[in-house]
Amino acid sequence: MVLSYLMHNCFKETAEAFLSSTGLKLPVDYSVNVDKRKAIFNFVLEGNALKAIELTEELAPNLLENDMDLHFDLLSLHFIELVRSRKFTEALEFGQKKLTSFGKVPKYVEKLEDFMALLAYEEPEKSPMFHLLSPEYRQNVADSLNRAVLGHANLPAYSSLERVVQQATVVRQYLQQEVGKDSYPPFSLKAFLSK
Amino acid sequence: MGGFEDDEPPSKRARASSVESASLPDCFSFSKSANPLGSTMARPLPSQGKEVMVGSKGVIKKDEFVRIITKTLYSLGYERSGAVLEEESGITLHSPTVNLFREQVIDGNWDNAVVTLNKIGLLDENIVKSAAFLILEQKFFELLRDDNVMGAMKTLRSEITPLGVNRKRVHELSSCMISCSPQQLFNGFSKLGIDSSTSRLKLLEELQKVLPPTVMVPEKRLESLVEQALTVQRDACYFHNSVDGLSLYIDHHCGKDQIPSRTLQVLCAHRDEVWFIQFSNNGKYLASASNDKSAIIWEVDEDGELLPKHTLNGHEKSVMMVAWSPDDCQLLTCGVEETIRRWDVESGKCLHVYEKPGIGFISCAWFPDGKQILSGLTDQHFCIWDLDGKEVDCWKGQRSTKMTTDFTVGKDGKLIVSMNREKTILLFDRETKQERLIEEDTTITSFSLSEDGDFLLVNLFNEAIHLWNIRNGPIRVNRYSGHKRSRFVIRSCFGGSEQAFIASGSEDSQVYIWHRATGDLIETLAGHSGTVNCVSWNPVNPHMLASASDDHTIRIWGAKKASLKRKDVGSSSCSSNGIHSNGNAHGNGFIHQCNGNSTK
Repeated sequence: MVLSYLMHNCFKETAEAFLSSTGLKLPVDYSVNVDKRKAIFNFVLEGNALKAIELTEELAPNLLENDMDLHFDLLSLHFIELVRSRKFTEALEFGQKKLTSFGKVPKYVEKLEDFMALLAYEEPEKSPMFHLLSPEYRQNVADSLNRAVLGHANLPAYSSLERVVQQATVVRQYLQQEVGKDSYPPFSLKAFLSK
Repeated sequence: MGGFEDDEPPSKRARASSVESASLPDCFSFSKSANPLGSTMARPLPSQGKEVMVGSKGVIKKDEFVRIITKTLYSLGYERSGAVLEEESGITLHSPTVNLFREQVIDGNWDNAVVTLNKIGLLDENIVKSAAFLILEQKFFELLRDDNVMGAMKTLRSEITPLGVNRKRVHELSSCMISCSPQQLFNGFSKLGIDSSTSRLKLLEELQKVLPPTVMVPEKRLESLVEQALTVQRDACYFHNSVDGLSLYIDHHCGKDQIPSRTLQVLCAHRDEVWFIQFSNNGKYLASASNDKSAIIWEVDEDGELLPKHTLNGHEKSVMMVAWSPDDCQLLTCGVEETIRRWDVESGKCLHVYEKPGIGFISCAWFPDGKQILSGLTDQHFCIWDLDGKEVDCWKGQRSTKMTTDFTVGKDGKLIVSMNREKTILLFDRETKQERLIEEDTTITSFSLSEDGDFLLVNLFNEAIHLWNIRNGPIRVNRYSGHKRSRFVIRSCFGGSEQAFIASGSEDSQVYIWHRATGDLIETLAGHSGTVNCVSWNPVNPHMLASASDDHTIRIWGAKKASLKRKDVGSSSCSSNGIHSNGNAHGNGFIHQCNGNSTK
């Protein structure tokens, strides 16, 4: 389980160290493309969405074509990066070229409005949409992309470790509802770790 | 130059005026005679800081009065007159700064306009910002329209956003920059108009609304004041029952003579009790249903006289109700526990017979789209049919009384009002499936819906008529009484100009008319010699009221001043109140028609 977590998140070197210290054999599936996935993941974290898209096309062709949500998120990430680097004119042009087509689909319109609104501010970090510029946002996009790539290769979208934590949380929640507020406090990983 | 100081805070002037109005004589009006030396002399000096009042009550400020007149002259297109008035009165419509501002807005001189805006001397900073926002927004859209997207973005970022107002709109403008479809531009301009000169004029109008009225006199202010006065007069007019507009020359006041109170015609074509009548939606026809198993369509001619158009025979039982299609081209008739027939009004032909083997119908109504009809059956079911006779839907209602068979469909087709139990009416919304109830203390005998669908008139067993507001509530808002009812179903209706009156039949052979808002009984109309079962007020002619009676006749009532060119002569079986024909050439032929020929 630990191994799968490490591989899922592309911690290749840690995984290799783990393997050598525990003597486990590496299951074939996970090592597939772990390098490429790691590269894609990091590009997204940096904000280099165009490079990430390029590599994704290589690794998992047609993935982005079929997943419009993801494609939209990646393109808008590039837009956000341009804004972050204060290249407003370029951002506007990129927006006009690439993002207008998404504006016709109702579910993207609201998000698009938020992205575009960044252009209205001289200091986007101080605007109400400042969270779009944050590393957490990029992390989210990177995670979605990673999951999509894994899914494309028919691997589980969530590592089993994560699954276990999710399940524990839900079980605790049900118990709380069934039995009563005080008997089973909600599951918190942080609390668990600090014990 | 004499004139209005627009940077003087209004409160100062108001205080001064209360001192002034007491001491100024009434004749200090703004006519030329106030200056006996004529207009060639220097203009009279303005009463600096003191308010001049006009009007018999001394409550109208002269400056304001003149300015709104000037404004009206300009908006009516009388530029020269407006300018002359400004000069002659010495009261300018707008201060020079404001005039400059208006010019700059019309010319699209945006940056200078914003500068001038700040010079006007407005006290409230928010107003300055809102006005600046409007101006810059126009600048933004005009840049976009000229394909200058970069310029628009620069305006947005450096001028509009820093104002710190209307953040939602700022975001919308930002989206406009990439989604520059002509449609979106049009929407952005929709309030402003698509070509620049009209859109700039609209911008001025918007600015007028934002800026205080002392700075820019609001558009159409004089018209608005006059309309307020007319509304007050109209509301105060108790007997108001005309479709004419109100005149500005005299205060409006209707007399009781506007209410139908004289018999104009007696229609004697039925051979038995007449149970139901209804005018068509366009007021051109009247349909009547009788115990004699027939229904008659009458036509209202240009003189306001009713002539029989078609007699509809075919039912094997008494016809108890009729229903006009929304376009008035078709009529439904319902026999007592029998069939429903659909007729073509123009030809008088029966187009369809609706029947359900073994069960009879007791009521019928149209849906507003004219494509389906609703029917009530003796076994308490409701059925919806399409015109060809296909049953579309059927459900069981809760009607437990045979006395009332009413239901009615609201104008939008969503609301169905029907009897639920003896003392309750069900308001069912077909769309939301919401059910509301009107609960009465005594048995309900009939009801009718107002034109706007917001009110329901309910006739009760105990001789009262209740008015319910069904839009909100339902809440009972009024009560009408005085008529007599003990054995039969008596129907009432809304009517008159804006449905300001309620009319009802009565078992004492009279027609009763109440003032809707106050509940006062205004008229009792005598003439029938039997129970008046049903009344119908012409929806288009507020002076025409029809009543149907057990004495086999229908009476048409009109206002006191009305008169017909011809008056009919009934057959010996109907009472005609001594009205005689004036020897018209059609006289004889008319008697025949009156006795029920099927065509004219």
